[in-house]
Amino acid sequence: MKELHLAFVDWEQTSTLSVLLTICSYCKVLCSDIFPSFTMIESDSEVIKPEMMKSYVWLQTTDGSIQEVEQEIATFCPLICQEMHSGLGTSKSYPISLPTRVNPAMLSLIIDYCRFHQVPGHSNKERKVFDEKFIRMDTNRLCELTSAADCLQLKPLVDLTSRALARMIEGKTPEEIREIFHLPDDLTEEEKLEPLKNTMDDPRIRLLNRLYARKRKELKEKERLKNAQNEEEIVDDRPLDDLLSFINGGNGDPKGPVASKSKKKNRKKKDQQKSAHEDCNPSNNLSSYNAIDNDKKGTNGHDPSCTNNKLHGRSLPILRQSNLQDTRDLSFTSEYELDDGDLDDEIDPAMKEIDREVEDFARRLNSDWPERMQEILRLGQERHPTPISMNRNGALRIHASTAFSYPSFCFFLLLSVI
Amino acid sequence: MNVSVFFFVNQKQREPHNLPCRLDLEIDKISSLPGHVIDKILSHLSLREAVRTSILCSKWRYKWVTVPSLVFDNQSVLVSSQDQTVLRNKLVNIVDHVLLLHTGPIDKFKLSNRDLQGVPDIDRWILFLSRGSVKEFVLEIWKGHRYKLHSSLYLCQKLIHLELFNCLLTPPATFNGFKSLKSLDLQHITMEQTAFEYLIYSCPLLERLTLMNFDGFTNLKIHAPNLLFFDIGGVFEDVSFQGTSHLAIVSIGLYVNADYGRNLALGKPGNLVKFFAHLPHIQRLEIQSFFLKYLSAGNIPVKLPAVCDDLSFLSIRINFSDMEEKLAALCLLRSSPNLQELELLARPEEQGGLRFVANILEEDYQNGPFNQLRLIKIVGIVGHKQELSFINFLLINSSALEKMTVKPATSDRGWEMQKELLKELLCFRRASINAQIIYQDP
Repeated sequence: MKELHLAFVDWEQTSTLSVLLTICSYCKVLCSDIFPSFTMIESDSEVIKPEMMKSYVWLQTTDGSIQEVEQEIATFCPLICQEMHSGLGTSKSYPISLPTRVNPAMLSLIIDYCRFHQVPGHSNKERKVFDEKFIRMDTNRLCELTSAADCLQLKPLVDLTSRALARMIEGKTPEEIREIFHLPDDLTEEEKLEPLKNTMDDPRIRLLNRLYARKRKELKEKERLKNAQNEEEIVDDRPLDDLLSFINGGNGDPKGPVASKSKKKNRKKKDQQKSAHEDCNPSNNLSSYNAIDNDKKGTNGHDPSCTNNKLHGRSLPILRQSNLQDTRDLSFTSEYELDDGDLDDEIDPAMKEIDREVEDFARRLNSDWPERMQEILRLGQERHPTPISMNRNGALRIHASTAFSYPSFCFFLLLSVI
Repeated sequence: MNVSVFFFVNQKQREPHNLPCRLDLEIDKISSLPGHVIDKILSHLSLREAVRTSILCSKWRYKWVTVPSLVFDNQSVLVSSQDQTVLRNKLVNIVDHVLLLHTGPIDKFKLSNRDLQGVPDIDRWILFLSRGSVKEFVLEIWKGHRYKLHSSLYLCQKLIHLELFNCLLTPPATFNGFKSLKSLDLQHITMEQTAFEYLIYSCPLLERLTLMNFDGFTNLKIHAPNLLFFDIGGVFEDVSFQGTSHLAIVSIGLYVNADYGRNLALGKPGNLVKFFAHLPHIQRLEIQSFFLKYLSAGNIPVKLPAVCDDLSFLSIRINFSDMEEKLAALCLLRSSPNLQELELLARPEEQGGLRFVANILEEDYQNGPFNQLRLIKIVGIVGHKQELSFINFLLINSSALEKMTVKPATSDRGWEMQKELLKELLCFRRASINAQIIYQDP
């Protein structure tokens, strides 16, 4: 079918004889197999272009455009050479179809490269100079060129381009590399910290890494909290009666029912936590929080945020907006939520630190509990004014519950019971 | 039919040729390159940099694990410490980690950390490599004594290049040679005589052989039919080639000055003849240290029976006061009709004992047209009569000479000596009208 096209185009240039020949050959093609008439077609092209001494190769890229290239240049590429040996490419109607990765822009670049290098006369130095100039292009084009050269099996060009790309990667920080090549930054903090190559035997380096990680997370936390000031509140949905009964029931009764109730509640929380992202493992660190109370649930509940809004990769449980999330609390609660699970630490200075803090806190709580409560409540009132009354026993009655997070609330109650 | 064809053609013409519009700016193109191309890119980086790419993004997390060449050198461990155990632990951990995470064939393995001594972990790694198909193995132990190589190294049949530094080689009795080995580089090694001979003999494809500072063997019987490049420097008593018809580049340095003639029988051809008997196609020859002394032991003919037609570059370390050495050099010069470049490095005269310095007779200087000799370089001469007569001989017989560079040795006499030398050089007749004599300061 393309024969017709050819004939059509060259109508003006050719003599009658050649036109007749082409028509004959066209008929031949229609009737018989392609290859027997191949020589006929070849002679046609020679007849049509008698002035050309060089032989040409036709190359077709995936978008359909056909390019004509001098044979000696094109055969610099092994793939084209191969295809030519199997008979393709010597005429426009049977061009060599190049693989998808070779688009016309890349093809012209490659042809330029081949054109220079296939000439044996150039010295090594000249070639080097040419190569240096040749690969000066932006990274995307360089990648495309590498891909195209690889398709055509043009090994010297693949070497040249891959060395250029390596030079771009060498000596740069990961952020720089990501920027150059437009790579997404989608690895988690942990995965980045995971020691692949340099295992730290030195405990100081390990601690340093941990501190850096902690600091980074703290900063992220602060940022997030800043952004999410008014949005994330833990809405304590329980009805007021429930709460009141809880308070009242906790006054005189033994710990039993209270404990069981809170146990149930906390178990629910625990399950919710478990169903959420598995990276949340703050409970280990917080277990020592229970210096005062043997009830673990208080601490588990301290991260209700584990259950909701767990983004992939954020292993740090987000302490949601509550009035307790004040600077004082934030400083040591965020310390607790470390994901140090991947690093084995028997003697962990960080842990010791936590223990000390916890004991300190416990002591303080025990000693001046009512005053503390007042302070906390006052702070809470500043943001969410909540009428609170203290009944005779020193326990609290809370009419509106939006201010406090449930677990800390529970904690107060339990303490008041004591 | 025609109509449809035409239509088809027309349709093709109307097809838009511009590529679909897309934002070329932010697309990550590099991650979609085929695996072997990424391997190539990463192999141009140091191993440490290649592994660092694993934290770039999730796609790149395990791209480095297929990189075919693993090089552990001083850049692999950044913290340098004098404490051997710390270093050893660090490096061992790193190598273990990398080997465990790596997948795919390992083509090249190089371990060359300056602080690493021969730790037994290397055995483990060699065993691991021997199960694969490692092609290049380089092991350099920079500290400590000779490291005894694990026997599994001798099972690596795909080895093409083997390079060892400061190792002890003890091939087992079942060793059959490295059938694919093309390049062997042994420096500061210990090996038994028979083991060495067998090693060379059993590597049929061996093309390059480098030997420096070896002990355990003193007779070098090189039976390597494909050998092209031979470079040795050490202490040996005898060197002989067998079947090395392709050997083109030879550089031999004999570091010990001994009496090499004592083992030779009278009437038999001297070392010179024996040496060149199997080097028909030699192109470049460097005779260093005391090797000329070795060559000059025994009978020295006027001209070698087998002419070295291909020899184009010759460099000789020669003691001009030694008559035998001069004769050997002359013989060699006469047997190399196509020699283009000649380098004569004067060896300072050996101390101790009076030696009767014989003068070369006039007829020894006959038969010496060097028609192709273009460059001569003479280094380290003092200005003795023997040296000067040799130079004179060269100048008279080199009709194509273009440049002769003379650089005398530093001497106590200083400028005096240099003046004498210059005066003499100026007197000499030159056969070549284009000859330049360039005098370089010592």
